[in-house]
Amino acid sequence: MMRTVQITRALMTAGLLETVRRKDLYVVLILTVLLTLGASAFRVFGVQGLEIFVKDVAFTAIGVMTTILTVLIAARQIPEEMQRRTIYPLMARPITRGQLLLGKWATAFFTASLCFVVLASITLGLLLSLGITVKPIFIQYLLLKIFGIGWLCAMVIALSFYLTPAANVTLSLILAFGSGVFNRLLLMAHWEHGLDVLWLNLLYGVLPHYDYFDMSKKVVFDWDLAPWWVLGVLAGYALLSGMGWLLVGWLRFRKQTIG
Amino acid sequence: MRAIVVRNLVVAYRRWFKPPFRAVDGLSFEVHQGEIVGFLGVNGAGKTSTIKTLMGFQSPTAGEARIFGMDATDARARQLVGFLPETALYSPYLTPYETLRLYGELHGLRGRPLRAQIEALLEAVKLTHKAHTLNKNLSKGMLQRVGIAQALLGDPKLLILDEVSSGLDPIGKRELRDLLATQRERGTTIFFSSHELAEVASICDRILIIHHGKLIAEHRLSDLVGRVDSLEDYFIRTVQAGHDILNEEVQAA
Repeated sequence: MMRTVQITRALMTAGLLETVRRKDLYVVLILTVLLTLGASAFRVFGVQGLEIFVKDVAFTAIGVMTTILTVLIAARQIPEEMQRRTIYPLMARPITRGQLLLGKWATAFFTASLCFVVLASITLGLLLSLGITVKPIFIQYLLLKIFGIGWLCAMVIALSFYLTPAANVTLSLILAFGSGVFNRLLLMAHWEHGLDVLWLNLLYGVLPHYDYFDMSKKVVFDWDLAPWWVLGVLAGYALLSGMGWLLVGWLRFRKQTIG
Repeated sequence: MRAIVVRNLVVAYRRWFKPPFRAVDGLSFEVHQGEIVGFLGVNGAGKTSTIKTLMGFQSPTAGEARIFGMDATDARARQLVGFLPETALYSPYLTPYETLRLYGELHGLRGRPLRAQIEALLEAVKLTHKAHTLNKNLSKGMLQRVGIAQALLGDPKLLILDEVSSGLDPIGKRELRDLLATQRERGTTIFFSSHELAEVASICDRILIIHHGKLIAEHRLSDLVGRVDSLEDYFIRTVQAGHDILNEEVQAA
């Protein structure tokens, strides 16, 4: 166990250094700030009561940017090591493939979560400086999004063993952004056919539910805190489903020829 | 004590609508502790597939590969091994120091001993002055030196080097030879593939030649002295003939 922690920590440190030295994070940060400032600029034209609009733009931007960043960070973890052949010296160390997989997931999760927290903190600071406040549900929004990032990283890393990097990024973005739409369509089908239709229930169970982890609209419309047990249940879903995805990835990776 | 044991190793790759391609076909050999063995063959002979199997990067289709008595797929076997791949482009966003720290920590080293080992290795491969320069700003030869340093991390008992001197300039090659000689004095077993036959002749105790995945010749270099004009001639003749033409002569002598 201690060995796995040491391996994970080493991979996370290197992964974080790489992300900080790449430019993606700064581009995302600048884009989000520009979008929020752009939305708030409507005040110049004398439009009143813009708080909800500005918050909506800001939190939508955070959500979109975080999802894109998470998918890109997770999708490159193992394929990039294979592509540039750094997987050889990595796997030449006394580490198992399971430990490498776990370490790479932790790296993606930690890095993407850190990017999200930085992005959300800067946007919050910007909103406060514009005189726009948010309620304590913002804390629950942060927590839930972090669970979602962990889950999304597990899914993207698992798919990276089955798909090419480009196909993985495309499919993951469709599943992440589309999950809300798919699930609304399914709910409509349920409404039409009734709640006890087996294939609809199976489909609902199988489809990824990244939309579960988004509370941004509740923050925008100043909802009160959600019951904490709901967050507990969602954390459980993220954990179990995430572990399932990692298992799917490991089943392929454990016997895969490297290089 | 045998550092490497390979018995009836078969590595086959599946192909669509064709029978599997056997990159390694019933290969058997042993490497004893403290030996320096050159693993020779033309491109596509099966050297890299054999080395990948020894490093646990792929499972054998049949037969076995063992490192110090442990199955090559067992991660613990790699605790005693240092490996330098044919071409490794180390993370462009890390420095040589950070690269070595990553591999050192993955090897189980930490703290002061790790720092001391990194500094000593950077000194040994003459990269101290570039220790904190990003890898993307280093030349190919310098990156190869980073590779050599990472292979030596953790004082391995066995060094497996794939195309060891590719990318090194003549001075780098000389330094590498000196470094390997130092490792030999320490009793490190070295198993390496190379196309640089002069280099092989200068540092090896023994050579193995494979062709189409089969072992076609195995000699102590001392046995070949005086019997062949050069290792290069011998290698070309052996590979062209497809079998060990000197085997019988040497045995008869």
